[in-house]
Amino acid sequence: MKQDLSRRRLLLGGAAFGAGIVLTGCTSNATKEETDSGQTKLTGTGNDTPGKTVTIGFSAPAADHGWIRAITDNAKKQAALFKDVKLTQVDAGKDAPAQVAALQTLIQQKPDIIVLLPQDGAQLTATGKAAMDAGIPVVNLDREFSDASASRLLIKGDNYGMGLAAGHYIGTKLKGNTGAVIAEIAGIDNLPLTQERSRGFKDGLALYGLKVSHRVAAQFTVQSGQDVTANLLQAASKIDALWNHDDDQGVGVLAAVKQAGRKEFFMVGGAGSLDAMEHIKSGDSPLEATVTYPPTMSSSAIALARLIGQGKGLSDLVELQVPSEIVLASETITKDNVDKYLPLGFRS
Amino acid sequence: MTERDDPAVLRLTGIVKTFPGVRALDGVDLEVRAGEVHCLLGQNGAGKSTLIKVLAGAHRPDAGQIWWRGETVTFADPQSAMSAGIATIYQELDLVDELSVAENIYLGHEPRTAGFVRRPAQRRAARDLLGRLGHPEIPAGRAVGRLSPAAKQIVSMARALSRRARLIVMDEPSAVLAHDEVANLFRVVRELTAQGIAVIYISHRLEEIREIGDRVTVLKDGATSAMNLPARTTPTRELVTRMTGRTIEYVFPERRDFTPSGPPLLAVEGLTRDGEFADVSLTVHPGEIVGIAGLVGAGRSELLETVYGARRARAGRVRLGGAVLRPGRVGAAVRAGLGLAPEERKSQALLLDEPVYRNATLATFARFARAGFTDSARERAEATRVAGSLQLVPADVRRPVRTLSGGNQQKVVLGRWLLGDTKLLLLDEPTRGVDVGARADLYGVIRSLAESGVGVLLVSSEVPEVLGLSDRVLVMREGRIVREAPAAQLDEDTVLDLVMAGSLREEEPS
Amino acid sequence: MIDVMTRRSPSPADGTSWLRSDRGEPVRRNLGLVGVLALLYLIGAVVRPDIFLDGGRLWSNELTVLTQAASIGVVTVGMTFVMISGGIDLSVGALLALASVWCTTVATQSYGPGVMILTALVVGTASGLVNGLLIAYGRLVPFIATLAMMVAARGLSQKISGKLTQIVKVDAINKIAVDRILGVPELVWIMLLVAALGWILLNRTTFGRRTVAIGGNAEAARLAGLNVRRHTVLIYMLSGLCCGIAAIMVTSLSNAGSSDHGNLYELSAIAAAIIGGTLLSGGRGTIVGSILGVVVFTQISNLFVIKNLQLEYQLIAQGAIIVAAVLIQQFRIGALRRPA
Repeated sequence: MKQDLSRRRLLLGGAAFGAGIVLTGCTSNATKEETDSGQTKLTGTGNDTPGKTVTIGFSAPAADHGWIRAITDNAKKQAALFKDVKLTQVDAGKDAPAQVAALQTLIQQKPDIIVLLPQDGAQLTATGKAAMDAGIPVVNLDREFSDASASRLLIKGDNYGMGLAAGHYIGTKLKGNTGAVIAEIAGIDNLPLTQERSRGFKDGLALYGLKVSHRVAAQFTVQSGQDVTANLLQAASKIDALWNHDDDQGVGVLAAVKQAGRKEFFMVGGAGSLDAMEHIKSGDSPLEATVTYPPTMSSSAIALARLIGQGKGLSDLVELQVPSEIVLASETITKDNVDKYLPLGFRS
Repeated sequence: MTERDDPAVLRLTGIVKTFPGVRALDGVDLEVRAGEVHCLLGQNGAGKSTLIKVLAGAHRPDAGQIWWRGETVTFADPQSAMSAGIATIYQELDLVDELSVAENIYLGHEPRTAGFVRRPAQRRAARDLLGRLGHPEIPAGRAVGRLSPAAKQIVSMARALSRRARLIVMDEPSAVLAHDEVANLFRVVRELTAQGIAVIYISHRLEEIREIGDRVTVLKDGATSAMNLPARTTPTRELVTRMTGRTIEYVFPERRDFTPSGPPLLAVEGLTRDGEFADVSLTVHPGEIVGIAGLVGAGRSELLETVYGARRARAGRVRLGGAVLRPGRVGAAVRAGLGLAPEERKSQALLLDEPVYRNATLATFARFARAGFTDSARERAEATRVAGSLQLVPADVRRPVRTLSGGNQQKVVLGRWLLGDTKLLLLDEPTRGVDVGARADLYGVIRSLAESGVGVLLVSSEVPEVLGLSDRVLVMREGRIVREAPAAQLDEDTVLDLVMAGSLREEEPS
Repeated sequence: MIDVMTRRSPSPADGTSWLRSDRGEPVRRNLGLVGVLALLYLIGAVVRPDIFLDGGRLWSNELTVLTQAASIGVVTVGMTFVMISGGIDLSVGALLALASVWCTTVATQSYGPGVMILTALVVGTASGLVNGLLIAYGRLVPFIATLAMMVAARGLSQKISGKLTQIVKVDAINKIAVDRILGVPELVWIMLLVAALGWILLNRTTFGRRTVAIGGNAEAARLAGLNVRRHTVLIYMLSGLCCGIAAIMVTSLSNAGSSDHGNLYELSAIAAAIIGGTLLSGGRGTIVGSILGVVVFTQISNLFVIKNLQLEYQLIAQGAIIVAAVLIQQFRIGALRRPA
């Protein structure tokens, strides 16, 4: 556990970025530490030199899910790295209306820019618009507004792509075995993101002529993961491959697998937690791979918000301004590349 | 009889109402005229409350007729009695504390348009009614919970008026009022009668009946024993005789000569609880039965519960066998040898769905247990033994108590204390809800308990019971002991006069 | 007169009608639940004959059902005592989470499995003590007191864990959920042991007798000299202790402590106790019925998972069973209390 902590410090201090788009924007010593974590290095752009001070208002749900927690942590750590960024965090409350209320207060304080992970994209759209109308650019994180004009920049993960990547990994390994038994353990079933992931998984498998034979839904919690998996393993006496949407509940999934003494299948995770990566690295469980949905997107969001606030563009892009939409690719972490990703893993 | 001939607005003839095991009303006649205050007098258990419920439509009589404004009627439910014009004001006022005065007055028949209550109209009308009752100072918008008991009563009457009641039944309205408030109440009653409304007024206090009443009807043992006596001029002696002249023969054990010897078993010294009783001292010797006579509300039950430790006294102490009992500790009292048969058997003494034996051993099961494990077989054996000595019917102790009659339920409660080493038994209304035949049984049980050396402190609102069973009698009124004497030296009339605070005052201090 | 009141009730002395007598009541209700279970097996045999008609797989599946039922079963035993005494404990799920988190902190884990188990039991029991004191001496309604505890204990467990899943690295704890005795998982043995002790406690000891007395008529119990307040405190401590035991079980099952553990356990436990015949108003209840209630609910979720059905149907089925069970219960009590 103690090693975990130090690793986390390394990770967060490093202000690592999501896999798709990579920036520097970091202090130099951090950049050094991260040269081996797969980032493009940008030089001579001037984006790392302090500019005018930008006040960023930040709001994300305070759920007790590891991924969401990592979002907030990453944002804070990233902001701390910039001398010219002042981060004002507002509590997102228990639900969307509470977050709306909190944001209205925030708008009154006139920050330079707002970074917002909504409780619910549709319900927060009007608030995003109100901020934009008040002249405050909004960076919309992950859960998309229903109207693009409510944000200056959207950064989101790719749920469909996650499913697709998992399907691709499993498909490659089971190619030709059309009778393969494939199981899927989803997260909370009535969330759009869960449905997107499942759709991607189905499409990905279909490319190889495979399909899901057992699907159960857990609730993103360890206990529910264990519970549905224990029952699932009874329903299917032989499984070839298993995709679990979420590495948080994956702790319980792996426990159930271990308790049932089942070893005949391999497993793919989702999100990219530290725990999952360690299992992949050590090979002590059926977990062979995990498809990412990086919480580092909030670090990127803070960095980009700073650039927007200072009127700067992305150094590698010819355009003078930051783009309006960035979709982070979902990557597949396996034993081969896990060392590179370990610093990015979040604690569940 | 047509309406014109009959001066009576209400006439009851031969009303009978029976409950399982009890004939609560056994031929009641009553005649009430418009604009009069008709007083109803009777002992506890004479049938007054049953009669009120018949009038209010809560009970349907088994026989007899109700003539209301010249026609025979049957009230299917309280609603129909109310809409016929009979309003009842119970002792426990049925007002909703959280609602305003106006809302209470118009509860259930609010003035409304298309389903919306017309609140201003309602408030105006309420003010109007309160004015008619001579109490315009009661704010129509105030929550009833913040009013005094007297004001609440006025609100109840306004409610009756709002229903256009022609007859208002008042059940002991003065019981909750201070002296000057009673005067005020009378003024309102006179307002009502002046408007032609008839009032049935129930009270224990003879002086009130003298002051406000026009005519008096006396109930005794569920039947009318005297009708339409003039309220002001009928001698007290006659009223009391009409109330008490007995028809039912209570079968008491033969009176015995009991001479207390040695130190008292129970000594209560200066026991006081504010608002309930004050400075009560009494003693009970081993084997002695001491009876307390008094009306409900005289502080009797509260006194017993305080002696028992279920309530904590403000002052005074209780000694049992010389040792002072820890105040407010029932467990300590039980361990010291006290036992209580409470007034409300079902809600205070019994686990109705549990078998007889578990009820009987409720205070003692831990003594039969070994290392925390209960010994049900032994409990059943002991309970069966006691049930046999109490002649419990049916004798099977595994039966749920719920299926037993009132008298047998009471035997289970007594059996509970027989199973322990009870030295002193506190009995609160031991024969309430018990039919006449079973009473004799209980009296026998109580006496034989005493003969085995148990001290008994008995409370009853039935004067014959106190006199017939006790060796010594204390009369309690308004929280104080006003008389103490051997039972043989008292008669029923004397005691009744004392408890009712009638003509006899404490001229013979004990 | 006396006979009029009593003659018409059935005589329990009549041997043949014992099952129909009042004392046969718990047995009858449990028969009903056994019937429901049989129905569930029948459904299983129809929809998944490959599992339910194959001895080996059925045994394996039912052991899984019992294992998944084990922790909630232990919580329900405690809840049954609370409910028989006329109370309610809404904090069980949160206490389970708190105990699981407390016993899996890095510091606690470093002391080994013994200290971890002791920590969970102490945390559960101490929280139950707080519940009991608030209710018995603070005169709070059980609903309010345990609701407050539910919220506070979840908060505290989030505070301690920092909302992180605390992975258990102590093998001895994780092995509890893996190891078997006589082919039956240890978790199932724990539930059976707790249930057996609970049954003895309820039916054979003065503790159980006091519990029933307080729930049946608290005033009568007080006036008979029982120390109602002290006993109330003990009952909530017992419930807390059960939460502590269940916390170890859940922690072992999921190889982690988490502030999410025991989510909605309060509702599951109350529902199981109710369909097992425990009166919400107190005074009556059976341990066997409660355990059967838990198994029925767990068997339903098992059936839904192995049939690949959506969670929402499962919730609907559980709701329907609760309503049906309570309707039957009311009907029976009505019949019992109606004058003969």
